[in-house]
Amino acid sequence: MTKRQRTLLIRVGAIILILLFAVFLFHIGRQHTVLIDNNTVTRDGVELQALKLVEVQVGKKGEVLEMTPRIRDKAVVVGQRHTVKVVYTDASWNEHVHELSFRIPLMQNMVLISLPALMKNPEDVSFWLENFEGLAVAQSDAPQEEDVVFDELAGFDSF
Amino acid sequence: MRELSTKQKILRFMANNTVPLLFVVIIAFGVPLSGYSPTYLAGEVISRISRNTFLIVSLLIPILAGMGLNFGMTLGAMAGQIGLIFTTDWGIVGIPGILLAMIVSTPLSILLGWWCGKILNMAKGREMVTSYIIGFFMNGIYQLVVLYGMGPLIKIISPNLLLPRGYGIRNTVNLIGIRKSLDNFLMIRIGGVPIPVGTFLVIALLSVFILWFKKTKLGQDMRAVGQDMEVARAAGIRVEHTRIMSIIISTVLAGYGMIIYLHNIGTLNTYNSHMQIGMFSVAALLVGGATVASAKIRNVFLGVVLFHLMFIVSPMAGKRLIGQAQLGEYFRVFVSYGVITTSLVLYEVRKKRERGMSGLALAQDQEVTS
Repeated sequence: MTKRQRTLLIRVGAIILILLFAVFLFHIGRQHTVLIDNNTVTRDGVELQALKLVEVQVGKKGEVLEMTPRIRDKAVVVGQRHTVKVVYTDASWNEHVHELSFRIPLMQNMVLISLPALMKNPEDVSFWLENFEGLAVAQSDAPQEEDVVFDELAGFDSF
Repeated sequence: MRELSTKQKILRFMANNTVPLLFVVIIAFGVPLSGYSPTYLAGEVISRISRNTFLIVSLLIPILAGMGLNFGMTLGAMAGQIGLIFTTDWGIVGIPGILLAMIVSTPLSILLGWWCGKILNMAKGREMVTSYIIGFFMNGIYQLVVLYGMGPLIKIISPNLLLPRGYGIRNTVNLIGIRKSLDNFLMIRIGGVPIPVGTFLVIALLSVFILWFKKTKLGQDMRAVGQDMEVARAAGIRVEHTRIMSIIISTVLAGYGMIIYLHNIGTLNTYNSHMQIGMFSVAALLVGGATVASAKIRNVFLGVVLFHLMFIVSPMAGKRLIGQAQLGEYFRVFVSYGVITTSLVLYEVRKKRERGMSGLALAQDQEVTS
């Protein structure tokens, strides 16, 4: 192998390594929103009632959310693999605790966890976790045009 | 050689450090007038050191190669901003977001740096003004790409980034996902003053890299080219290639510096953030005692401290002095441009004087030998 070929090989290798590192960063740094929904839902023709009072924590260090019926809250997470811990006390004062793990698809911005569905069938992740595409933005009175500002001295203060 | 008296030494020191001494005097008056507490000032200065130092260090390599102050660092800043727009669009947050923005900016910076270096090779001896104008030219291209290309040609996923018309990036991009993530990594407090150790480590690494780089073959070649291009060429150094390399390195570092700068602020002014960054960085470096032909790491740190102390205290000092903060605002804009002019004039005067003195010495030598 000539010196020229070796140099080329090292350069190509370095570029591939950097690209792999970029892909790794993309995976570990991707942010997702997890919506936690405590509304009555229908699954396979069966209506699952919203839970009276339930505590939910997404991730080990996530905030513990206390949720009542017809409440939807959110947790912002980074990365794909996460856990959700649900603590529910039923009408007979029996405490049900579920700690489950789930995976968010890389390019999915938002997923929704349905708490009634989770309590019904915690083993089947696809039963209680679904991709959420967001709602269509309502028409507003906001102007459709936004002036683009070119200012030579902008950013002067922050410098 | 004749020994200098103490008075002559002091005079020479003052002549060589006119700009930093002028700033010390301004600050000596400004700090008490502003009424700011030492803790507040220390906190502000440390925050600004972490924010700006990387950008200013990026100017050192072209000076080593004799290409003067690289106003074309704006090109790197634009590449850094494009990197940030993409990572924000992809939703990459924290330190991975910063690193990914740097990776995205690198090929753009290399390409722009190579192109800028090629042009500067065609304008030898007029590098500074040429790089300044290249910055303006590239700003037009940047605006075209970001304002019209992003959306229809370059895919942007997040509608939050796009203007209401559906294409072009909004005036401001919120960098909340990466804001201060590097600063908060290893953050400590000393006497109530927050010290972003993570960012300082990165700056320290860059400083060590610059010191190491000067000792490498390429670094030595740059020094030789900076001293005399024709002698360097006669010694077998590829002068044009070396000059292009110095501009590429500077542009890449400027891109990284811009990402660190914007991550600290937390907001990207899409069409404005990069515009004056070259001017302020050059001003800060010159305030630290650097010249067009010589700049060291210590000039960077001294410059950041002095220039930013002036920046911090001047509005309040102006307000206390005549009841108008606006005066201080004008003052610091005026000083930024003024300090560059003063440094350039002083450099030319000094160069002329040295040339005159060496001419006299040569004439004396010739008289002795004849």
